[in-house]
Amino acid sequence: MNRQEFESKNRKEWLAFEQNLAASEKRKPTDENANLPAEFRKVCYNLSLAQYRMFGHQICDRLNGLAIRGYRLIHRKRSSFGEGSIRFVMGTFPQAFRREWKLFAVVSLVFWIPFFAMWWSADREIEWVQALLGPEQMASIEGMYGKDADTAGHLRQEHGSNFMMFAFYINNNVGIDFRLFAGGIFFGIGTLFYLIYNGLFFGAVVGYVQYSGDPELLWRFVAGHSSFELLGMLVVGMAGLKMGFALLAPAQLSRGDALAKAGRDGLPLLIGGSLMTALAAVVEGFWSAQPFPVNVKYTVGITFWVLHLLYFVFVGRRRHGA
Amino acid sequence: MAFPERRIDTLQTVELAEGIEIHLRVAGPFLRLMAYLLDLLIEVAMLVCVGVLVNFIFPLFGDNVSQAIYLLTSFVIWWFYHVIFEVSPWGATVGKRTLGLQVVNTAGGAVTLGQSMIRNFLRGVEFILPFAPLIAFFNARFQRLGDLAAGTLVVYSRPRIDPIIPGPPPFAGVPVNITLTREEEAALLSFRYRCGGWSEARRMELASHLRKLTGEAGPQGVSKLIGMAHWLEEQR
Repeated sequence: MNRQEFESKNRKEWLAFEQNLAASEKRKPTDENANLPAEFRKVCYNLSLAQYRMFGHQICDRLNGLAIRGYRLIHRKRSSFGEGSIRFVMGTFPQAFRREWKLFAVVSLVFWIPFFAMWWSADREIEWVQALLGPEQMASIEGMYGKDADTAGHLRQEHGSNFMMFAFYINNNVGIDFRLFAGGIFFGIGTLFYLIYNGLFFGAVVGYVQYSGDPELLWRFVAGHSSFELLGMLVVGMAGLKMGFALLAPAQLSRGDALAKAGRDGLPLLIGGSLMTALAAVVEGFWSAQPFPVNVKYTVGITFWVLHLLYFVFVGRRRHGA
Repeated sequence: MAFPERRIDTLQTVELAEGIEIHLRVAGPFLRLMAYLLDLLIEVAMLVCVGVLVNFIFPLFGDNVSQAIYLLTSFVIWWFYHVIFEVSPWGATVGKRTLGLQVVNTAGGAVTLGQSMIRNFLRGVEFILPFAPLIAFFNARFQRLGDLAAGTLVVYSRPRIDPIIPGPPPFAGVPVNITLTREEEAALLSFRYRCGGWSEARRMELASHLRKLTGEAGPQGVSKLIGMAHWLEEQR
């Protein structure tokens, strides 16, 4: 069979397949007799034949294009969003966290050591803290947590201010998470920088409030969302560092392959950590500034920390249906 | 195999479960940059539109709520514009679709939400260091760092169809007396179907390489080659 025979014999089928493809891609009903998988297999067969017999670029490119479109359509994943989310929360995410527990140890040290160092330094030598915060930050901290401060609760009396703060935290904190992750591409340096900087900054805030303000106002405000926000940031940091380590020490793989693997393995941490930060924004926006008694605030905060511990240690241990 | 092992083009060969090989046409950096600039323009236009809209609805909801709406929408546009379009059935942002590009995974299939997030979140920091995007020039698939981490490619979404420019019609079929390999046959046929676009001198130059086969040089060699191609295709 030569090229012309091959083409004239099959042209109708290719056209029909192309039309059905176009209809399916637009989610329109296809021809009643259409049987896309069978037509797809036929096109695949024709493509390999045309390639083997070298029927020329005209036919090969056309069939190649049809095969790619058919492959995209037939092999697309269609899992329901709800089921996927449940599987993620109840399995994939905590499992990925436990698999990378060493990275968690690393990011925790990288964050908490600067944090406590800064806090501790405020007791002995406040100048470090003052230098880091700068006059504007100090003024705003004194406004919120100072001894005679208008507490955050009072600032939030205005209509819609909770929603406004929620939106601000989403925009700011989740955005920082994404940059924290992306910074890992520079051999982890970007991620380390953000973690250390945040550690120093939070430590300085705590130290400064201890020095000049009313610590209880601060603890009361941050208790509720602290677990979501800090752990979320650390978890995203794990995903960023994973990329950095993959580039530094790719082991048996090429650097490109190691990076791809790190991206794949770190993905649940990126998504999960960002979701935790988004939850933190919900809590911070709608709960943290509410004028409830201190004890209630502390209890809620501690409960969230314990729940996080339980979640990451125990959830998703059992494997369903192997 | 339709193509030799060592290639000088950018086609990426992928073997599918159907037992066939497809060839992905990877898109080059220039076109991708153009698509990105187009998308950037659209993003900025969207942000401006949201800003104007918020200004209009501002009396309805008050200061805080309208500012919150602006912050949330700009967050979504800034971080998820590319992601939302790339995981849609289009598989491409508006800019990429306009220029006929598509984002696929390394096997040619649709990208997942996670892959799209990785490749787009990394873009922001990649542009901090001027040399980082240049990595795309140093691998065969034009992948930038984000593509490498996500396992994605940017390809042309439509097949390239070369125009057929056949040469002069053959006077008569010329039988070929020796057995040709498939590659040689294909070369003869593509000579016939492409030589219409070449000058006479170029045709003769190429035909002269096959003097052993045709036994002729100059214009006779060309017409004999065309005759052989005709015979191979129609009369054998």
